[in-house]
Amino acid sequence: MRTSRRQFLARSARLGVLLGAGVPILNACGGDSGSSGSKQTDPIADGLEPERGPLRIVNYADYVSPDVIADFEREFGVKVEISTFDTDTEAIAKLASGALKADVHHSMATNSIGNLIQGGLLQPLNRSYLPNFANVLPAFTDPWYDAGAAYSVPYTFFGTGIGFRADRIDPAEVAAQGWDTIWNATAFKGEVSVIDDEREAFTMAMLRKGVTDINTLDREIIDAAVADVIELIDLVNVKVNIEGYKDIPEGITSIAQLWSADLISGATNYLPEGTGPEVLGFWHPPAGQYVVSNDAMGVLADAESPVLAHLYLNHLLDNDVSEKNFSWVGYLPALAKLDADYVIGAGYVPENLRNCVPTNDDIAQGLRFEPLGPEGDAIYEAAWSRFTAGG
Amino acid sequence: MTATVRRARTTVWAGFAAPGIVWLVAFFVVPIYAVMAVAFGSIDPLLRTARPAWNPLDWDVAAMRAVLDRVFGGDLGRVFVRTFWFVGLALAGCIAIGYPVAYHVARKAQRSRGTLLALLVLPFWISYLMRMLAWTNLLQQDGYVNRVLQWFQILDAPRNWLDGDWPTVVIGLVYGYIPFFILPLYSSLERIDGRLIEAGRDLGASAFRTFWHVTLPLSVPGLMAASVVTILPMFGDYYTNSYLTSGSPRVEMIGNQIEFYLRGSSQPQTGASLVLLLMLLLFVLMVYYLRATMRAQREAER
Repeated sequence: MRTSRRQFLARSARLGVLLGAGVPILNACGGDSGSSGSKQTDPIADGLEPERGPLRIVNYADYVSPDVIADFEREFGVKVEISTFDTDTEAIAKLASGALKADVHHSMATNSIGNLIQGGLLQPLNRSYLPNFANVLPAFTDPWYDAGAAYSVPYTFFGTGIGFRADRIDPAEVAAQGWDTIWNATAFKGEVSVIDDEREAFTMAMLRKGVTDINTLDREIIDAAVADVIELIDLVNVKVNIEGYKDIPEGITSIAQLWSADLISGATNYLPEGTGPEVLGFWHPPAGQYVVSNDAMGVLADAESPVLAHLYLNHLLDNDVSEKNFSWVGYLPALAKLDADYVIGAGYVPENLRNCVPTNDDIAQGLRFEPLGPEGDAIYEAAWSRFTAGG
Repeated sequence: MTATVRRARTTVWAGFAAPGIVWLVAFFVVPIYAVMAVAFGSIDPLLRTARPAWNPLDWDVAAMRAVLDRVFGGDLGRVFVRTFWFVGLALAGCIAIGYPVAYHVARKAQRSRGTLLALLVLPFWISYLMRMLAWTNLLQQDGYVNRVLQWFQILDAPRNWLDGDWPTVVIGLVYGYIPFFILPLYSSLERIDGRLIEAGRDLGASAFRTFWHVTLPLSVPGLMAASVVTILPMFGDYYTNSYLTSGSPRVEMIGNQIEFYLRGSSQPQTGASLVLLLMLLLFVLMVYYLRATMRAQREAER
């Protein structure tokens, strides 16, 4: 249910009134899950020859470097076909119904992975094809969403904080106020935004009040968070979007709830000429109150080229390939080599945005969006619908 | 003509209509039934995908009931009312700007008609989305709109047009849909028999009275058709307001809620129920339109 910048970009490319809304419905009508062919329930055997392709990947639009894909095609002499989706929900619906067949799911939301495994959509990985798994940050080798990383490898990771214009609001002031910065930003009316995602926005309100059990289903806590977020409409004329990565560098937005990776990519790509990265600032809560999220890659159970799919995952875990990919997508890979010192030294990240790279402590103590179950999702979605409808 | 020949001819004509009927069934009736099956169906508890109920006996109306509760006296009701307001105001804007244009092209422009028509079609060359994106640039704080208004001293300081105010959304809707409004209206105005207008003037009516009592009533069917063509897509619009306000909750329309529930939530039944409700509403408007055009036609024939 996570939305993202990639989703926004992809969505921008689509146009349709109710026709657009009808597409997922029709996709959903393909039948119950499990309508596809043979499914791999055990890891593939060791030492198999790679298939001749094509390798079919599903991913958000513009979320992997074309050069990285071209390198893989050259190295293994195969064609890679990428199908794109806009939301995690949409990808699951298409894969479950068999409307979309693929070998690799490039960007799974971590809170869906448990269901994908249980629903039999993913196959367990054979680590013998993944020597580059050794490059993965230790914090992600046994992730909370997939014990022992049996079914997935991490792709990119990022934390949720506040991105702001350091030339308009003093970073010390933001640090002193924390999440209250957003509620206190009455001087920046109309220039404040929150992430277009119900979990992110309501969690922010919980953390502001000191609630760290962000996966709670306690109605009182959720209702209070919803009321606080609704308050932002009148207080600061809040916007709900995922455009902070360009709106902050361009100066349209002054203060935004933001994914750390968005500011890195914004500093590289969206600062107007003559404006340096020193106008940007990022704040995040201390470890233990900081939500750190990641996307993950997996091989689908009905993959026709499972060996090739494993090799692709391994390709993306290569330090050099990953660096190349990072320089294009702006989202940090979960590899040990590309730590803050490295990416700052290599000039990918300006020094004043060092805190956009979550530290090992941040990751280890990071808060996670765990699955809430159908009832929990329904509560959050109804509240989100109420907020976006104007409160 | 014998009865057999007549019957054969009817069959031939029915044959001609067949592809159209097949098309309608395949791309209209079936999808609507699919929407109903989703709205009254359930969801997969694990993957949260829609489990449509194809058999009407299995239909579960819980989602629809919840939606109705929220529409009548709840938060969604306000979104419906807001959508109505926006569409109504945008339609008024289309009439105010579009009618004189269509009238001029159809009745007054002689040599320039071809050029003007080409200009009217021109916006269709550019995708709707591109035109909206262009507006977001024009309306920015340091954009051309503010610069021009300040240059003419209409504004003292730049106005934040993209701030989530309703006028920007209404202006966007008018701008986006006005070509759809002008063209059908033009073709209806152009067909008005010039002799009727001349007769009005010959009988001593002023230009205005002739327009009011002859041209305007005769153009009502065209006006209705143009209005229907524009407001139907406006009711389902969800990108104009998103683009022109960067996603402000103050201007959310019903199309945004449908999009959220169908694409970003685990409750496609709620989204599908909203689709059905909106369709029902538009259906009522359509019925009204058809009855009004028939009445107008009868009056014109009298």
